[in-house]
Amino acid sequence: MKSRPNRWIRWLDAGVRGSIVTRTTLAILAPAMVLGLTFAWLASVSVEHSEQQRAESRLQQLLSTVERTAQIACYLKDRSIAEEIAHGLISNRAVSAVTITAGTLTLSHADNPSAHGPDPHRVVIARPIASPFDPHESVGNISLVVDRAAIHAEAASYSRALSLALGLEVTVVAVVVAIAVYLFSTRPIKAVSNELHRIRFDTSARLHAPANNRFDEIGSLVTDVNALIASLGELLNTERELRMAHEVGERKLRLIFEKAESGLFVLDERGVLESWNPAFTRLLRLSAAQLPHSGTTSLQLLLPPHGADLGQLIRQCLATGQAYDVDLELPIAESSHPAWIGVTLNPIGPTTLQGVVNDITQRKHDELLARQLASLATQDTLTGLLNRRGLDMGLTAAFAVHATPELAVLQLDLDFFKEVNDAHGHQGGDQVLRHVARILERNARRGDLIARPGGDEFVVALVGIADPAKAEQIAKAIISEIQQPISLGIQSVQVGASIGIAFVLPGGDSAEGVLSRADSAMYTAKRAGRGQVCLMQAPAPPEAGAAA
Amino acid sequence: MQIALRTLLALAAVPAASVAPAQTLVVIVNPSMGVQHLSRREVLDIFMGRYRTFPSGASALPIDLDVNSTERRQFYLLLAHKEPADMGSYWARLTFSGKISPPFAVPDARMAIDIVANNPNAIAYVDRSAVDQRVRIALEITP
Repeated sequence: MKSRPNRWIRWLDAGVRGSIVTRTTLAILAPAMVLGLTFAWLASVSVEHSEQQRAESRLQQLLSTVERTAQIACYLKDRSIAEEIAHGLISNRAVSAVTITAGTLTLSHADNPSAHGPDPHRVVIARPIASPFDPHESVGNISLVVDRAAIHAEAASYSRALSLALGLEVTVVAVVVAIAVYLFSTRPIKAVSNELHRIRFDTSARLHAPANNRFDEIGSLVTDVNALIASLGELLNTERELRMAHEVGERKLRLIFEKAESGLFVLDERGVLESWNPAFTRLLRLSAAQLPHSGTTSLQLLLPPHGADLGQLIRQCLATGQAYDVDLELPIAESSHPAWIGVTLNPIGPTTLQGVVNDITQRKHDELLARQLASLATQDTLTGLLNRRGLDMGLTAAFAVHATPELAVLQLDLDFFKEVNDAHGHQGGDQVLRHVARILERNARRGDLIARPGGDEFVVALVGIADPAKAEQIAKAIISEIQQPISLGIQSVQVGASIGIAFVLPGGDSAEGVLSRADSAMYTAKRAGRGQVCLMQAPAPPEAGAAA
Repeated sequence: MQIALRTLLALAAVPAASVAPAQTLVVIVNPSMGVQHLSRREVLDIFMGRYRTFPSGASALPIDLDVNSTERRQFYLLLAHKEPADMGSYWARLTFSGKISPPFAVPDARMAIDIVANNPNAIAYVDRSAVDQRVRIALEITP
């Protein structure tokens, strides 16, 4: 029950707000009613007042009319005439009583039978009656009691009629306004609104202004709405095309994502996987039981041996905002071949990373092979001489054939090579190294070992030379040649060389031993001044002499 | 001789009356009534029917002259300030009441004087010149 007034108020409110007709009519009706009521009230007051006055003046006139007769009646104390006058007067509705007196004698008194009871504010109109023959002689008195109630009733009925007319006028005006508003405003608006309800934006639909409103405000509203619909339609079309293009792109991307050979995935800052493509699980060689769950499984969990590294990588990635790569060996059963994946992490947000996984097993395998091959190589790629390994193998082979092979080992170190490198770069340095290699090759015989174990040091093992003088001679020839200017295109450089010479000692010498001694001799030569040759003398000449 | 003079006077008086009332009206009563003097008002009240009695209480019988007579016109003009037409309407108003009737009218002064002389209650107005010994002048009406 309590909600009832609220509902009424809401209904009324909706009625007033929801209808221009109601609102306009009320807006006109309310002030018109207030004005009408005020006017009616003012009119009734004024009518009452004027009616009272009019009644009094009418009664005065009435008295004037009968005055002459009354004069005669009073003069003659004629009751019948007085009676006649009184009856004449009392027939007036505004008169409730009439008294005609002549001196102390009451000639006639009449009461109106339809009078409205005793009036506390009764108004008495009295007039002295003079003799018809002597205006100065008073012969009587006539008095009327005004029936104010009757006058009031008359005024009230007049006011009622006036109010009724006003009310009728207000009602008629309100009805006319309501009809006019409905016809000229609400109906065309409703028509346009209904059309607008049915309109579909994908067609080139337009609203039609009602015929009578084509050139008024409603017409211009319709024009504006049509313009809006047109631009909206265009906008929708563009939007639709964009959406379709976007969908196609999305599908493409999705396809790429799904079909990509590379594993693609998205991580949060803790390493928890948010999404991934089929290649991801395939590359990680995850079994059905291991398949990750979005939002719970972390990358670290999928790759247990690398968990700490991956965590570190993620933090680094997010901290620097740069992409990082890492190669990881998959934790798989021993029986299988080792498998490798390359993981690249790209930060794409403050807490999000996008990752790419590639199978790098083949590359890893190739690299390993290359490393293994490199470890088997004996040649220095720069100069074509033997490398340290080649030198070692050669010397080892020599020692394998003969316990005390006849060898003179020349350890050569370039002087001023660093300066060339500094002045002309590595290319210049490389050119010098190759030039030196050629010199060494020219001064050696077939079967000698010529090696560049590293940097600017060279080793020449002269086979079958046990004579220190012979060895020294060759060494000096080499130094002399190296000291010649070396052309590097338009420029030329000059380097020197220091050479230490050692021979294989009888009685359990080794490749390492003789190389070590040659090296010591070379340092001795360097210390003695550049461009020197130093011979490591045999520590046991008698044996050597005996051998000789 | 006396008649000739009276005729002459009358002839002279007629045009004179039309110009200005040269005559003097008097109210006459029967001497036996014992009325020495009446006021104009008393006379008027009797003639207008207010009281049909003398102050003494005796009933009064007013006698009017002919309706077209100069005396009658002058009498009412001086006494009631009314023209004959007004008088006519006055009496007309009273006819329906039936209680009071206008004074009995006689054709001339002589007849009026005769009536007054023979009737103690009668009262009339005549020109002073017409008055004889048989009646008593109760009031002289001067303009």
